[in-house]
Amino acid sequence: MSHGQENGNSISAMEGVTPGEAGAGEASNQLARRRRIAVWVAREIVPHEARVRRWLARSRLSPEDIDEVMQEAYCRIAMLPSVDHIDRPLAYMFSTARNLLLRRLKRQQVVVLEAVSEIETWRDEDTPSPEDQTASRMSYERVLEIIGRLPERCRRVVELRKIEGWSQKEIAAHLGMTEKAVEKQVWTGVRAIREAWTQAEALSEHRMLGTERKEARSW
Amino acid sequence: MVSVSADPVRDAAARFVARMDAEDWSAADEAALQSWLDEDPLRQGLLLQMQAQWLALTPAAAEVQPPVEAEEQVETAASSGWGRRGVLAGIAASAALAFVGVRWNRNASAYATRLGEIRRLPLSDGSVMTMNSGSELTVSMADQAREVELTQGEAWFEVAKDAKRPFVVAAGKVRVRAVGTAFSVRRRETGVEVLVTEGVVETWADGDAGLRMRLEAGDRAMLSAHAVIDYETGMSSSVDRALAWRGGMIDLNGRTLYDAADEFNRYNQRQIIIADPRIAREEFDGLFRVNDPEGFAEAVKTSLGVALDTSNPAIIRLH
Repeated sequence: MSHGQENGNSISAMEGVTPGEAGAGEASNQLARRRRIAVWVAREIVPHEARVRRWLARSRLSPEDIDEVMQEAYCRIAMLPSVDHIDRPLAYMFSTARNLLLRRLKRQQVVVLEAVSEIETWRDEDTPSPEDQTASRMSYERVLEIIGRLPERCRRVVELRKIEGWSQKEIAAHLGMTEKAVEKQVWTGVRAIREAWTQAEALSEHRMLGTERKEARSW
Repeated sequence: MVSVSADPVRDAAARFVARMDAEDWSAADEAALQSWLDEDPLRQGLLLQMQAQWLALTPAAAEVQPPVEAEEQVETAASSGWGRRGVLAGIAASAALAFVGVRWNRNASAYATRLGEIRRLPLSDGSVMTMNSGSELTVSMADQAREVELTQGEAWFEVAKDAKRPFVVAAGKVRVRAVGTAFSVRRRETGVEVLVTEGVVETWADGDAGLRMRLEAGDRAMLSAHAVIDYETGMSSSVDRALAWRGGMIDLNGRTLYDAADEFNRYNQRQIIIADPRIAREEFDGLFRVNDPEGFAEAVKTSLGVALDTSNPAIIRLH
């Protein structure tokens, strides 16, 4: 980040970030910024990610390419200094993904014209359809199910952290584990939950695409 | 048992997410994360996605914030949107706004460029400004401030560092302030466009401190007196492309033909007209000289197979 470049300027002095404080203060600022953005993404985007992916899939991109577009879109968001100025998060995600997708289609030089015009129609589905809502609920259940199937010790840690909202330190004291050991269980939990989301998204994408593909074939 | 296939990058991302989830994030952790992120730009996205997936569906976790600086707490405690910044920004802004209003136009020197002229001008404080075609501005250098008023067109500023004298560009009601930075300001029909090539700038609107924003290198924002119309970040390459005019070039990276024609028409008497709205939306790539609209039109003709009419010396017609 550029905090280092602005040593001695009055903007940073005004905000209380003087060069000498870089270090622990800077680290916790970065952590706080990252966390604020992640909380926002968790609330506004993750539950609807399958919708974005499904819509990207209409451009006939391979699932691997869709993964990359999604990751690039998340990159753009990760680099924002703040997300406060974004009024409609999902629309923002859609348009970021669309721009990246158009760029990619152009690079591949396979600009399927219908695909591009399809992409422009995303505004029409701005409100979640009943299918979307079902998909979100399915994702939720899928995640709970995955937590339930984690090995005992890991499941306890993840439940206390994610569902009860205890801190890692509190969990360590309660379960008589070291904090490092708790962190390690959280690590396993993070991976399992990612897997759960990925599967849930693939599932809903597949289900929805199944119907759309059939329609496409008939014309 | 849940089977999770091996993937070293994802596993490393998960480890950082777990580490950030604990309470004792240190400068060393931050440094380790930064160097891991620097290896591949896509990792930023992966990390955010995984951190968000971990946090999703966790009402309790979403509310618990790690301990942060006092400044940050004010920010999270206030309401959402621009209002949230207003609290802090208001204090900072009132100081800056006061003197900008009073000192404007004292000992000002005026500069203008003609159509097609791109002019590079050193300023008395060591800064350098590059004016684009058809631009007008005034510069005033005072003891406590360096002020530029852009009345028309676009200019790119490479600002010499001087913390005691902020460098402020005014474009209508929009203000852009820098301290040792390079950035451009362009007045357009729809608003004022700011591109940052180096360092950090601060923007706001005169009379509306709530619009205060901080832009970093690679950021682009379109501002009006009342709103931030558009904002993009991390776009260093496209910012550089948008400023290709500094070298006398136009870089059309996927711009629509309509935009492209508009761009050439900024520099040339001979105007490009696109008579067919359907081709106006086609996107186009390429690097052209600003004074060669004919060359551009030829390229469009060849690559998009459209008709070109150059019989009128005042216009170039694509249809």
